[in-house]
This record gives sequence, structure tokens and C-alpha cells, in this order.
Amino acid sequence: MASSTGPPTTLPHRSVANIRSPPAAGHHGPSSGPSTPLRPITSAFASPSSLRAEEDLIIIEFGTRKLQVGFAGDAAPRGSIWFGPDHQRRVGDFRAWQTDYHDDWRNAAAGKSWGCDHELWQSDIRGLDLGLVGDKIERALKDAFSRYLLIDSRPRRVVCVLPSDLPIPLLSTALDSLFNRFQSPTVSLFSSPVASAVAAGMRSALVIDLGWSETVVTAVYEYREVNCGRTIRGGRMLVEQTHNLLAKHLPQARKETEAAHSSQQAQDYALSFEECDEITTRMVWCKPYHAATTTVAQTAEGLPTVQEHDESDARGHSSSGKAATATIPLKSAKPPTLLNLPYDLLTEPCENTFFDSRYSQSSFDDHELPVYLLVYRSLLNLPLDVRAICMSRIIFTGGCTGVLGLRKRIFDEVSHLIQQRGWDPVQGKATEQLRSNLKLNRGTRQAGTGPTDAASQAGGSSGGGGGGGGEEQDGVWHDAANNTPKVDPIDEQLKRGGDKRPRVQGQMRALESLGAWTGASMISHLKTPAIATIGRDLWLQQGAAGASKASDVDPKTQQRQSLGAGGLIRGAAASSAWTLGVWGAN
Amino acid sequence: MAPLTPYTFFQCPCSEPSTLGQPADRSSGAGAGAEPDADDEDRAFDPRAPRSNYSLYPLEYLLYCEDCQQIRCPRCVAEEIVTFYCPCCLFEVPSSNLKSEGNRCTRSCFQCPVCIGPLTTTSLESHPDPSLLAAPDNSAVPHSGPYMLTCSYCNWSSTEIGIKFDKSNGIHAQLAKLRNGGTTRLTAKEHKERRKDLLQGGGPSTRTAEAAVDGRDLDVDTQFANLKAFYQNQLADSSSGGNGLSSLGDLGFASPNSLSRIMSIYTGGNLHDKRSKSRIGVMREALDSDEGLKIANLDESEAVEKLQEEGYDATVSTEQMSNQTPNLGEAPLHGRGRFTSELRPVPYLLRTKRSKRCPICRHIISKPEAKVQATRFRIRLVAGSYIPSITIRPLNTPEANPGAPSDTLQPLKPVQFLLTFKNPIFEAVKVTLATPAKTPGRFASKVTVLCPQFEIDANTDVWDEALKDGDKDKRRRRGEDGPHQAEAGKIWERGRNWVSLVIEVVPASLRLDLLALTSPAGGHEVDTGPLREDEDLLEIPMFVRVEWEADAVGDEIGSAPNKDKEGREKRELAYWCVLGLGRVSQS
Repeated sequence: MASSTGPPTTLPHRSVANIRSPPAAGHHGPSSGPSTPLRPITSAFASPSSLRAEEDLIIIEFGTRKLQVGFAGDAAPRGSIWFGPDHQRRVGDFRAWQTDYHDDWRNAAAGKSWGCDHELWQSDIRGLDLGLVGDKIERALKDAFSRYLLIDSRPRRVVCVLPSDLPIPLLSTALDSLFNRFQSPTVSLFSSPVASAVAAGMRSALVIDLGWSETVVTAVYEYREVNCGRTIRGGRMLVEQTHNLLAKHLPQARKETEAAHSSQQAQDYALSFEECDEITTRMVWCKPYHAATTTVAQTAEGLPTVQEHDESDARGHSSSGKAATATIPLKSAKPPTLLNLPYDLLTEPCENTFFDSRYSQSSFDDHELPVYLLVYRSLLNLPLDVRAICMSRIIFTGGCTGVLGLRKRIFDEVSHLIQQRGWDPVQGKATEQLRSNLKLNRGTRQAGTGPTDAASQAGGSSGGGGGGGGEEQDGVWHDAANNTPKVDPIDEQLKRGGDKRPRVQGQMRALESLGAWTGASMISHLKTPAIATIGRDLWLQQGAAGASKASDVDPKTQQRQSLGAGGLIRGAAASSAWTLGVWGAN
Repeated sequence: MAPLTPYTFFQCPCSEPSTLGQPADRSSGAGAGAEPDADDEDRAFDPRAPRSNYSLYPLEYLLYCEDCQQIRCPRCVAEEIVTFYCPCCLFEVPSSNLKSEGNRCTRSCFQCPVCIGPLTTTSLESHPDPSLLAAPDNSAVPHSGPYMLTCSYCNWSSTEIGIKFDKSNGIHAQLAKLRNGGTTRLTAKEHKERRKDLLQGGGPSTRTAEAAVDGRDLDVDTQFANLKAFYQNQLADSSSGGNGLSSLGDLGFASPNSLSRIMSIYTGGNLHDKRSKSRIGVMREALDSDEGLKIANLDESEAVEKLQEEGYDATVSTEQMSNQTPNLGEAPLHGRGRFTSELRPVPYLLRTKRSKRCPICRHIISKPEAKVQATRFRIRLVAGSYIPSITIRPLNTPEANPGAPSDTLQPLKPVQFLLTFKNPIFEAVKVTLATPAKTPGRFASKVTVLCPQFEIDANTDVWDEALKDGDKDKRRRRGEDGPHQAEAGKIWERGRNWVSLVIEVVPASLRLDLLALTSPAGGHEVDTGPLREDEDLLEIPMFVRVEWEADAVGDEIGSAPNKDKEGREKRELAYWCVLGLGRVSQS
């Protein structure tokens, strides 16, 4: 497999490296000078003070509905805490054990928005009690630490995995409770899309986070977030749609007029959030993509690289799913009932939430784009070479990946959209005409230009290069044929990795990631310093306002600070700048 | 709703926003006359605020630090672990195992994934029926052959997920190697060999070879290990220039790397520049399953069909799902995790015994016996033996309506409750109470404490009292005078170390239409939303301030009370508590 010929930068043959014990940095280019082999440093030698539990680096992933904790270097979190109303009761309040407790959900949920008890925070922080959020975080963390991590309350370094669009007040609340209540000496922040990409083994990826409050599509390129698109179509909407579906089919609801149903705001919830949430995770699935419904003739310019999809598979489905019904027990309905629903109807919530194909694509606002459209637009917004890389590194994460068939459906819809439209931001009848009219088409850029075409045109022979010279920038046409390719040192570096096999790009491909938590665990285990590492003293002195821009902070000082090589440097570092990374205010 | 018995909750002072920032001790005796001042009055504690749920504790949950003379709640103690143990087999687990083997019992202790009952290992072969095989020696033969885990409560057994064990011990290790359905997991070595075979021999079967490259069959654990090895390789390779990641190895001055760095400083950075230019500092991406790459398997049509055929009952409830440990022996499940066939027996979570210290003075305030089986504590300073306990009962004056149900309070009808304060310490204490005249919240009930200031006698020996002359009239029960009215400024009753007094409450009406009428006109928008959970509960916030004199020198509070006055100092404790009196009826 590993053919170690060619470039001077040979990768040490893996099996040999394994035999020679330390993860050998033995072979480098002759110019790189002498070096010490890397040696895994055990805590006994690394930590000057045993008072601090230096080794246990705790990774915390904050989600809207749950919190995951574990130690760095583990493959999976050791435990997760789900937020719920029972988590917010007083200590010593044992009403959850009363027999009629769960029947009393109407009373319990009264006066609050449906299901908001199950969330840690809302990203709309107007009217949000930050102190309460802090309390929730503290209690959940304490619970997680003592139940799952089984650690004492000595201060420990913490790594947080956070969605990159977390508002600063929420971030600051989380940091406050970590520093004040848990006395952590430092907290490092990782953004979850980047961590997901790392956990898939990738430097670049298109991370589709099918989360609870919203679906976020983030393009990560070379470990940097380059683009981010969001839509409110997420888990919460899915559960609400499930509720609407079930409520519509309740026996007593059928008699009621449709008018009452249409005004959903005024409508009381007929079922408890817990039950709808459960049914959503248990029964809701997603229809496979039907190519037949929107048939488009395969145009000549269609992407040659797009994967072929098994349409037979989809057909097999519809034939078998004729009259199957699903029986769902509803305990929180009044009176409790068994609901018989056609099995196919259980796709409706998913359909309405993520695709909403009833409406035309132009009718959506920016915040409520259907997911596949959002993915397509996110890809479209990317520069050509970044797009080529990202589209073959699609990662699905988030709670809604559990909906059966949803990932494939989104993937297929996006593939289809690309096939149909190419990478043309302009759409509509006029473009259709333009595309069909060959005369007009000749001089201009081809509508169906796929990234691979472009890359091959641009980079010439170096198909694997990161975008080559760029033949057409800002509408200025460069003479690619007569240009001598300039040797770009950065390009060389980038290319180095792909010396053996070219990087996969330009085709749609979905990858499996181990998840953001695992990614952060991996990064921290490899002792890679985070850009945003916050010291306790500095935070307590300055708060979020003291953070500087990520670009102003010299990562070298940060590293030294986090390595803590002696008091001298630490003292100097106290005055140095620190940053909140992508979360910081500009 | 179950009838509500009156209750009390105490707020730990650590939750007050003023002390949250600086946990400095509130020095005792500062400003003896300073009652909760105007500032405090403004932000009187609201037991209904959602945040208050996080700071209120029943008295039994609170500890007390003798040195700081402060209440310590579970939030504000520093914990240290005494032992780790499995709650099922009660074996102690050394802390080094915890790091390597995780937080669950690695012996044979498992919980049922369906009902959380304990699982037992039984032989798969049923007991030979004595009537059929009338051989007594047959039954004496120990169980052999495959074993399974069964739940004696719900009859779940591991055969339902297709798992049998060869041996009856070391179930945890055996289970880790088995996948649901009974297939064994490939070890990393086997993975590699299989892959090699496929690549070499698999000329025609390129499909499977591709699958191997894609990592379709890669489980989480292996993927993680592969990725980690890959990254480590890349880091070692790419960071040889000393660009930070390897600087761990460069700390020593003996290392040639730092030598060259120092040299580069003296030679004007030339050397350094050259080196950094030639450095090849970029890691590449994972390219095949050996390096942790895994192509997502998006086709879930099998699962969809399975869901259709087996329906709701074949799926797992959210509670069962949350009890499951992440299955590292399987590829990421995504939606397939919902089936009962994917359930795994849950190894018991380990537990800890913890000793607790005061975070400020580091004195131990609770220390359990180290032995797992023992439930005793060596040290345990519970707050109940330092601060007065409060018990509440309704005062049934003769004119009160005997027919009224006792568990609900009638709105707008004055009720009297008897609060009994019991002094646990060996000094007489002076207690000052303060309540807001109207309870906070939308439905404001009126509250009057008839005697907000009183003194409780010391908790002397019971026999002391009996042996002394018993004719101190202040201790005489007032009830002997016959039925009497509750008077303002006077306590109701007094005993050896307790005092009871009357609190009068006018519960608010819970009618929402009245709410709009009675609210002040110039005020902000009236919230006429529906009745929220527990809004019918009548809870009274009460600020309690306890003062007593104790020996300044000795740490023990319980030394002889008859000492000279110079050696004594004034001590003070102040905290909020919440009295839950009952539910207001909603008629």
C-alpha cells in the first residue's frame, strides 16, 4: 500500500514506525536539522504540581438539550445529561415518583412554551434568565461529574465543545460557572463543526448539524469555518410537527373543525411534549427520494461524477408500504388512546420539517430554508475549490440524524439539485432558456460547470491541487495556457498530503464522523492547543470584554501559557492577550 | 394531587448573588442591630423564581462548618473521593482501574436494558427434567455450555439480542467482543489481516475491497483507534520543525531542537528562517479505513422496513435509550439504535463515597466510613444540629371550621399556623424573623408573623430540667390558662428548647379575573396567563436571623455555658427559608 517513493518528504513506512518504538519523527528532510523524538509524556513528569489533577482533561459538549462529558482520549463520552423539568426541581422534591405525576403534564407545562423545559438555552437570549442557565449548567455538570466521571472537586482543565454561533452572553455564562463553581484553571474552546471534521479524519468538510433548535450547515476548510448557513428546521420543529400530526388524528380532534386546527398558535397542545418527543424518536422516518416525482432529463452537461443512486430501492419501498399501519399508544391524550396511523403518514412530520416541498423554493425566508436547499446554497456560496473539497466531505451530525432515511434523503435531494441546476446562482425561466439555447451559451461560462470540470480546466495537470491558478477571477480572464505555473510554497505543502492518492473532490460523498465530542477528545489528547484558551485569572479579571480578536493573539504565547513551562512565562502571559476565537466579538 | 404536608426549605447563603462572586466569610457579629436592610428588602427572596429551585434544600441536605460558622450546601462543599465501588457486587474498584476501564463495573454486574433490574447469568440449557432423565447425578453436574444474562423481573434475556456466553464469569470482557446477533468483533489485528487479504486476493471481488477501504464495517472503537494512530503519525511527521505541537519534547535545554533554536536567535534568525521555510508542516487527511476514514452508509431502508414490520413495540423508549452506554463495538447506529434488537446489557455505573470539606477553611465536614459495606459516617456535621429546625402545623382554634378539608386552604380566609422552632445547640439563641407582608408572585397572600422576635432556651440535658425546680412560670404552658387567642407580640407556647408562635395568612384568590382587577392600575402589564405549576402552593419566604453567644476560644460550641462573659463572643447566622403551608383551593 504505502509506496514511499517520490517526494523528499516520505512518510515513514507505517509498520516500520511501529517497530521502532517511539512515534518516530526519525526521517525528515535533511534540512530540518536535529530534533528530539516525540515522546509521550506521562503526567508524573509533566505536571510540576500534583495538586492539580493535570491529566484529567475534561471534555464537555454543550448541546441545547443535553450535555456530554468525558475525558480526553476516550472514544465516546462517559455520560450525557438530558435537560428536563425534573432536572430543575428543588433538591428533595420527590414528586417525580408519585404515581400520577406523568398524567399531570398539563398542569406542569402550563404557562410555559411547550417543551422549553427540556432545553438548556434558547439562542434568542432576549428575556432569557442567564442566571438560570448558569444554574442549569452547574447542576448538570455537577451531576455528570459525580455520576459519570466519578471525580472529586479538584480544579481541572476543561475543554468545551460549542456550536460556533453561540451568543456571547451564553458562552460567558457557561464560562462563569466553569470558572466560579468548578474553579477550572483553563478552559479551551473548540467549535463543534471543526471537531466533527477532525473526528472524521478530515481537514475540510461540510458539516450538516441537524440539531435541536436549528439545522446548521457549516463549511470547514482547512480547519477553519468558512461559511455557515442556518435554518430553523430542526428537532424542535420536527417534534411540533409530530404533535400536530398526532393531534390531528386523535379521535376527538377529528370531530372538531379544521379552523381550530389551522390556528396553531392559539391551539392548546393535546399531548405532552415528552410523549411527542418519544414518538418522534421511535417512529418517525423519512421517505426516500423519489426521482420520479421530479423527473429531469439527464442533460449532457450534468455532472458526470455524481453518484448513481439506487432507484430500485426507493421503488421497492413504495410497493411494500401499501397499507401498513402503525399502532401508537398515547398516554397523555385525554382519554388515553391507541392511535392507528398509516405507516406512510409517519413521514409527514419529517417531510414538513426538513423539505416542505409543498411550497415553491422561492417562497421561503432566509431563516426557514428547507435543509437540502440550505445545503445547496451553502455549497454554492463557497469558492470553487473549497466547494469541490467540501462537497465530497459531507458530514451529518446532530440529534435528527436518528430519523431513519433522513440523511440519505437530504443527500439525494442535494445531488439532484446539483444535477439539475449545476452551480449557477441564477435560476428561473430565463436561465432555463439560456441553457437550452446553445447559441447564447457558447461564449459564456457553462451553466453546468461542475467543480471537477473547473478544477481540471484551471489546474491543468495538477488535478489534485487546491484550486490551481484560477482561470477566471472577478471576471478577468487569465491566459492559463501560456502561463507558467508558479510554484506556490503553500500549495506545495497542501499537495504533500496527497502525494500517493489524489484527494477526493468534486463528487458528492458523505462521511461518517465520530462526533464533535470525540473530535475534541482526539484533539486534546494529541495535545494540540486551542486558539481560544482562557485562563481563570484573566477571565475573572476581565470577563468576556477582555477578549481580543483571534487574529491579534499570538498562538505561540498561548501555547506557552498552556504548557506552563515555569512561573516566568506564566507571569508574562498574564498580561498577554487572549481570545474567544470564533465566538469573540469583533 | 396528594395531600400536602407543610414543609420547609432552607436557602444556603452561598447562592446569594452578593456572595457568589467572593465567597469571603461574612464575619460574625458585624452590625448586631442591622436587620435585613433596605437593599435586602427590595430583593426579597422569591421562592417561585425558577432560580430559587437551585438554592433551596431541605434541612437534612445541609451541612455546617463549625469553623466558618456557616451553612454548607451540596453546592458549596469541596468533595474528595474515599472509595469507588460497584453498587451491585459491592466490590471496591481501585482508582487506577477507573482510568483504564471506565466508569462501569467490569465484573459481571449488568442491568437489564429494558427495566434496569439486575441481570443474572444462567445456563442456556434448562435444568434437565428429573422425570425425563431420572439420573440424580445429572443434576449434580454443574451447568455447562452457553450462558445468558436474564432479568428475573421482566424476563428479558440476552438471547433476545442473540448473545450467548461461553463462560459464566468475566461477562463484561466477553460482551465487549460480541456484537448483537452473536457475531464476534474483529480485533484491530484481524481487521488489518482481513483487509490485506481482500486487497491481495480480491481481484474479482473489488466491491468488498472497496468496502474495506471505505470502512463500512468499521466500528466506533476501531475507527477512533485508527484515527488516533493516523493523527499521531501525522503529527510526528509534520511537526518535526518544532512548530508548537512538538514543543513538549523541546522543553529541555539538552534537546538538539532547542539548541538550534537558541543558535538561531544568536545568528540573527537566519537559520531559523531557513528551517521554517523548509518545514513541511501540514498534516494530510485520512484516506482509508486504516486511517480512520469511514464513508457513511446512508442507506437505511432496511431499518425503515423493519420499523414498518415490527412497529412501535420493537422500538426503545427514550428512557431505555438514555440508559444505554454508547456501543463502541458497532458502527455509529444513528436511527438504528431505536430497535430493541440493538439493546445491550448495561454494566452498572460505579459509585463513590465522598468526604466533604468546607471550601474555605478546608475542614472536613463529612467523612464516610471507607468500607463499602458500612453506611456510617466518621464525621458528619449536619446543619440540623446547629440551626433551629422549623415545623409547621395548622392551628385549629375552636372557631375554625372543622368541616373544611385540612389539605387545601380557602382563598381570602385567614388561617393561622403554628411554627415551632427547636433549638439544637447548647446556648440560648435569639431568633428574629422577617417576612414580606405579601408573598411575591402573581397571587400575593398576606402574611403576618405575630411574634417576629423571641428567644429559645438552650438545648440542655433533659434531666437537668427535670431535676431543677420546675416552677419557672415562663416555661409553663400557656394552654393551661384555657383556650386563648393568638396575640401579637407574644409567643404561643414555649418548652425546654423550643418556642412556637403563630403566623397568620390570608391566602390569595387564584382567580385570574380578579387578578386583573386588583392589580395596581399604574403598574406594568398584568400577566393573566393560565395558572402555572405550583402557583397554587402557598409558600412564604422568611428571613431567619439567629444570634447566640458562644465561647470565643474553644471551637466546641457545646462547652459549659457558665463561663465569664469576657471569653464569649456573639455569633450570628442569617438565611432565607421557605415555608410551604399548603395548596390554595382553586374553586
